[in-house]
Amino acid sequence: MIPRLVAHIGRLSVVVTMFFSFSVASAYAGAEIDGLTGTDFTFTAKADCVSGADGLSLFIWGFANGDGRAQYPGPTLILEEDIPVTIHLKNEISWPEPVPVSLVFPGQMDVTATGGDPGLLTREAPPDGTTVVTYTFTPTEPGTYHYHSGTRPDLQIEMGLVGAIIVRPTGFDPGSPRAYAHADSAYDHEYLFLLTEMDYNIHRLVEFGRMDEVDTTTFFPVYWFINGRNAPDTMLMAGIPWLPTQPYNCMPRMHPGEKLLMRIIGAGRDAHPFHPHGNNARIIAKDGRLLQSTPGAGADLAISDFTLASVPGQTIDAIFEWTGAALGWDIYGHAPGDDPEPNEYMPDHGKAFPVVLPGQQELTFGAAYSGSPFLGVFGDMGPGEGGLNANAGYFYMWHSHNEKEMVNNDIFPGGMMTMLIIEPPGVPIP
Amino acid sequence: MSHSMMKTAVTTALALSVLAMMAGGASAADFYLRAEGLTKNMPDPNGGPDLPVPMWGFALDDSFEGTELEAADVPGPRLVVPPGDTTLTIHLDNNLSVPISIVIRGQTATMTPTFFTDDQGRQRVYSFTHETPAGNATQVTYTWTGLKPGTYLYHSGTHPQVQVQMGLYGGVTRDAAAGEVYSGIPYDEEVVLLYSEIDPVLHEQVDDGSYGTTGMTSTIDYSPKYFLINGEPYTASTAPIAAGNVGDRVLIRFLNAGLRTLTPTLLGAHMSVIAEDGNVYPYPRQQYSLALPAGQTKDAIVEFPASGTYPVYERRGSLTSAGGSSPGGMLRFLEVGP
Repeated sequence: MIPRLVAHIGRLSVVVTMFFSFSVASAYAGAEIDGLTGTDFTFTAKADCVSGADGLSLFIWGFANGDGRAQYPGPTLILEEDIPVTIHLKNEISWPEPVPVSLVFPGQMDVTATGGDPGLLTREAPPDGTTVVTYTFTPTEPGTYHYHSGTRPDLQIEMGLVGAIIVRPTGFDPGSPRAYAHADSAYDHEYLFLLTEMDYNIHRLVEFGRMDEVDTTTFFPVYWFINGRNAPDTMLMAGIPWLPTQPYNCMPRMHPGEKLLMRIIGAGRDAHPFHPHGNNARIIAKDGRLLQSTPGAGADLAISDFTLASVPGQTIDAIFEWTGAALGWDIYGHAPGDDPEPNEYMPDHGKAFPVVLPGQQELTFGAAYSGSPFLGVFGDMGPGEGGLNANAGYFYMWHSHNEKEMVNNDIFPGGMMTMLIIEPPGVPIP
Repeated sequence: MSHSMMKTAVTTALALSVLAMMAGGASAADFYLRAEGLTKNMPDPNGGPDLPVPMWGFALDDSFEGTELEAADVPGPRLVVPPGDTTLTIHLDNNLSVPISIVIRGQTATMTPTFFTDDQGRQRVYSFTHETPAGNATQVTYTWTGLKPGTYLYHSGTHPQVQVQMGLYGGVTRDAAAGEVYSGIPYDEEVVLLYSEIDPVLHEQVDDGSYGTTGMTSTIDYSPKYFLINGEPYTASTAPIAAGNVGDRVLIRFLNAGLRTLTPTLLGAHMSVIAEDGNVYPYPRQQYSLALPAGQTKDAIVEFPASGTYPVYERRGSLTSAGGSSPGGMLRFLEVGP
């Protein structure tokens, strides 16, 4: 009776897993980066809170899309090369004291600002909730960029007033996308990695109105974020209701043989060595410019690296590829005569798995294990084991290799970390 | 040509080099440097009285213990080696109370390190090269040969974790040819941005003698509070730096004499980053920002797209004085004419 019940629960868990996988997959809007498209945007700077993945509430100042809630990071703007854009900024930040806010756009030329008050780097929106500063510019080069407040950046970037900009090249074809006007920047999936960190003490002092005690020179972050979330929240769906001010996720997925474009933005104050497990990535652009020897040469100066140095304020674009090349065994578990899979690494076709797997009683299973070493194959596990690997994919941790940044306020795992999922051929990735 | 730091020193250096050439086309540049204490006033974050910070600096003399051409300052005078000179000689007059020295990373010199014996009997290096004793009666000479063109830092090579912080640093440049920073890389105008920092606690303790005795015993707790470009934090009265006109090739020399990696960021234009530590990249890099590690130099050429004012700010947030006030710190505006 008991064994049968266990078996039944096991079967049930598979069913639940499959349902979970369906709901997860269908909700991903992540393969194309979430953000706002268009040419005319309105931001409102507001005070709000974000949740650390450990449940701690952190007071922020953030940009809201229109009259929505503040969000961290601010709305990702997806623009088109040579198409002028206008961003209207209002400011409702009154806690702990009214502070002016502004926007600067590193890497953009001829930015004009009108309205509001003169500020140090650009015109500023006073915290009256009504005055509008209007910024206009024409993004003349495609690529990955960011914006941040140009008012007291040492504090306001820390407080959350920062966001991503993506500029599509002229003639962008979503069916055959390229990051730049060259085939070297072609990709199948793109993901954003906006990297930031927070010093809890600064946020607490601001929240409690103790502005006089804020000292940005003693900056000591204890939370690290990708797209505004700490791990493991990075892997939750985008737009989930219980993270209302952190709408963006970071759940990269790809099939073997595809090209995954990593758009990495060093949006905080520290450099982060971002490490994609599974393979090197090829850095094709920095600060929105292809690494090329001459205009039109493509990314002929691209650098293959296994840890991508993200410099504060800088952006890099990198192409990650994975086929399982040179593992020395067939990841699909083929017999030598079987038909190959799309993009299979053929030198290993039909090669047997090189070790005998231990028995189930001798293993501890991770939640992302499918029960089988083969891609797309589920295997038996004990009841209640696994469950997070919906399609029997391969999981690779992608993270800051400054290991202390993989924590949430000193508790591992967390922080600047997510997983790449290599999905079996045929699994839909939006 | 220069709109940057130490205008007097540059002029003097050029005058000296002219003198040197008049003396028979000598291929060596000679500078007489004097080291001594000075006080720099740093702005109070709450608008109160300035904080006087004791520092150590260099100044230019016309000969050893001869005419003092200027007061000591931080950074020290920029040493401009004429393109034709391949040997640099610095004669040092040390008016400080401790031995010092001068090193230039990236240039070639015969190094003769100085050791001391610690309380466990171990020989430990104290100075990367020979020292100039405190209050030296005769000049001590430092010579570099086979000078490479480019942008470099000179600084004390003695007890550097203290002496560099105290202010014993400056820029030294040599162009490959007149108007060419490196061979085949011309420029019309130049801007020098020399970054450094002040942790006032160290300065106070070194000045009152408590450093290493009753006060702190190392610089491990370094926590800079003032963030300088060309020796001064940005304040509301800091003048813009002239950066030529539209169409000019403007050379920006970035030097980091501080102890942290900085990220100077230019708003409104991309730079063509051409060299690092005096080494030309095979291909220039188009960036609006750059990582500038401690002790490093980078050179960039900018052709500004329009006249106007272009901010260069430190993106890691070194934009305050003592963490509380803004504007401050590592910010400058570049003024580009039509």
